[in-house]
Amino acid sequence: MTDNAADLLRPARTRRSAVRRWLYPLAVIVAIAGVIWWLEARGGGGDSSTGERYGPVDLPAALVPAGASIEADEGALAPDFLLETLDGAEARLSDFRGRPVVLNFWATWCAPCRKEMPQFIAAYEAHRDEDLVVIGLNLQESESIIRPFADDFGVDFPVLIDRDGEVGDDYRLLGLPGTVFIGRDGVIESVFIGPFEAEERGTNIQGAIDQSDLEQRIAAILGPGEGDGGW
Amino acid sequence: MAAGRAASETGSRPARGWTRSLGVINPLRAVWWLFTNVRFAILLLVVLTLISLAGVLIAQMPANVRGDAVLEADWLAEKEGTFGFLTDPMDAVGLFDVFHTSWFTVLLAVTVVSTGAYVVSRFPGIWSAIARPRKRVPDRYFELAPHRLQIDGVLDAERLEAGLRRSRYKVERWQEGGATLLFADRFQIAQLGTLLTHAAVIVFILAAVVSRVDAFSSGLFLAEGTTLPVFPVRHADQMQVQLVDSYAEFAPDGQPLDYRADLAIYRGGDEVLRCSSTVNTPCSYEGYRFYQVAYFGFGAELAVRDTATGNVIYRETLALAMRSPAARLRIDDANGATLVDRTVVLPDTLEVNDEPYHAGLVRLEDGTALTLLLPEDAGDVDELRIFDLGDSPETLRLAPGESVESGGLVFSYLNLERIPAGFVLDLPLPDSVESGGPLRLQMSNVVYGTDTISEGTNVDAPGSSGEPELTIVGLTSQAVTLPAGGALLVDEYEYTFEGQREFSGIDVRRDRSDYLVWVGAAAIVLGLMITFWVPRRRLWAKITRGGASLAGQAAGQADYTSEMRRLAVQAGAELAEETEDDG
Repeated sequence: MTDNAADLLRPARTRRSAVRRWLYPLAVIVAIAGVIWWLEARGGGGDSSTGERYGPVDLPAALVPAGASIEADEGALAPDFLLETLDGAEARLSDFRGRPVVLNFWATWCAPCRKEMPQFIAAYEAHRDEDLVVIGLNLQESESIIRPFADDFGVDFPVLIDRDGEVGDDYRLLGLPGTVFIGRDGVIESVFIGPFEAEERGTNIQGAIDQSDLEQRIAAILGPGEGDGGW
Repeated sequence: MAAGRAASETGSRPARGWTRSLGVINPLRAVWWLFTNVRFAILLLVVLTLISLAGVLIAQMPANVRGDAVLEADWLAEKEGTFGFLTDPMDAVGLFDVFHTSWFTVLLAVTVVSTGAYVVSRFPGIWSAIARPRKRVPDRYFELAPHRLQIDGVLDAERLEAGLRRSRYKVERWQEGGATLLFADRFQIAQLGTLLTHAAVIVFILAAVVSRVDAFSSGLFLAEGTTLPVFPVRHADQMQVQLVDSYAEFAPDGQPLDYRADLAIYRGGDEVLRCSSTVNTPCSYEGYRFYQVAYFGFGAELAVRDTATGNVIYRETLALAMRSPAARLRIDDANGATLVDRTVVLPDTLEVNDEPYHAGLVRLEDGTALTLLLPEDAGDVDELRIFDLGDSPETLRLAPGESVESGGLVFSYLNLERIPAGFVLDLPLPDSVESGGPLRLQMSNVVYGTDTISEGTNVDAPGSSGEPELTIVGLTSQAVTLPAGGALLVDEYEYTFEGQREFSGIDVRRDRSDYLVWVGAAAIVLGLMITFWVPRRRLWAKITRGGASLAGQAAGQADYTSEMRRLAVQAGAELAEETEDDG
């Protein structure tokens, strides 16, 4: 009996307008897309003094030979970036075109990075007169954390800070440390993932003959006849 | 319109819905029918409940085992003792890891979709009933309504309306075909309470999905003064956690009383939070919580400086997680003056009569060197042997707590201690030092807990007889002991023991489903309160000169007919005793 009574009261259904049928789902989709866009767009690595955003930047066209590719692979032009330095200035990778560059990705929390750092300091000391540029590219750390470490270890080459890690992404960094060796022409000569082991002690004579892996890679970007002496 | 009608009716007539769906070979409609079918939703919930029960009752694979083939095999081998031949099939279907199986996630997702579809499908009808209630009913409804009342005689429509309004009804009254028609409505918005309850179920399941997909957990083990990232390498939410200070308090018997970690959180190059974290009161930042979950008190910070450049080339805080026996020794002279009262580290190993011993040296002010020996596997009752390499060749043997006089001195072996020890593999060495393997470190006089120096004697609460000291074995021909801040120059390298450091284990967690659980809980409580406690009513009346008919709807088991009788009496009706036909 109740069912019949309910049937008597069942309202006649009306066809929803096409606007309502499509508008609501569309609004929901737009809202979700908006939230995703906002989440992706927020933050960022800060802006330079010229208003340019810190992070990966386009390589100036004048520095890109015809047919050259730009990617973090051996044989390709090194992707350019603009970052702030530990000293508060800013540096652009392409500003070093014409000089060999060792780009070392590191962080103070990374024990292998700490361990290999004295080798980069020594390499820089040994080859700075040969125009070698060593860049310590710190991944997402604070100046107040980096500064004591740099002072303690005597890091005297430029330390750049990749605040949001986008340059690390651009170089497809999967772990720390990682080092990219870039020739004077801006082309990546080699990429080394992991820490460089310190020269074995007690093998000084042999060490004078056989260069360490780091020495060999630096010698390759310094050019023939240079950098053979080690440090 | 016909399609919509079919969909709305299928909840109570599944066979009809299936027939129609299959009849027009419309799989989408069949799926919609399935998802909006309340029986299907209940079935899903029952299945989920049973599976969850299985996940609770059957031991689940621990997180540190999951994903490691060797550990998983060991763990499963252990389970064979309980489940026998069923172990492999149970593992194959995921019964040892129920909540991480893909089918469980799919089941959750289907339940969310089903419950969501059910709510969505019901909403238009309910909202229509609220916003556009049916104000006219067929005459036959006055004979069939669940609550009804027939009045033979006068019923004053104005007085009925007034009575309804006093009872908080919204009333409409009009004339039609020589009769007065009346429609009254109370608390109809409360119909949404049911939807709110259903929505809460969706929110709960969504919370489970969010927790499954989005929850993050990472363990950090930090030494004081050091920093670790929350995420490995690069992440959009990357943060660094710095352990500014680690505190621990212990009872005199060595039992821990309290742990606390002072943290600094960095993000985007800035310090964004400085806070104290404990097990129960974590630091929170942007949805991430930082709990202190562990404490370790025996770390030694060691630095190596290349004096040629002045640069530090090594700075690490090493966790000394091993233990090494040491002797707490006191030596008094004949006048009662104490010459030695300290923990003697035994860094060397010697063999005496083919028996291995830990050995250490104690130098007295007069230059006498005493050699102390303890059996390699010394226990609390093993004797300490003291060789005087000077004039007396006598060997003293002292049990713990024993004192012996020899050569005008009183030797007291107070107790055996097990001091923190460890190995360091990568300490830079000058070229002149031949590496004989890893260097051994032993730290004595450790402070266990920043604020409390425990008086106990066991490994967990070693006694302290002074400032912490670090003994390094292998760096020079003899073991060297450095006080906190003390340095040793070996060729061009300067080795400095910076001091004892503590560690904290910090668990970083994010589970944004927390918020959903709160919203779901609020929604379900509110929905149930509205559904059960808000007295929804709807009344239709048709009043003619010869009499009146009333029909009503009420939520739940309310005796609405009696209420209708009361309203009718207030409106001037003269009613006989209640009859069955009154509904």
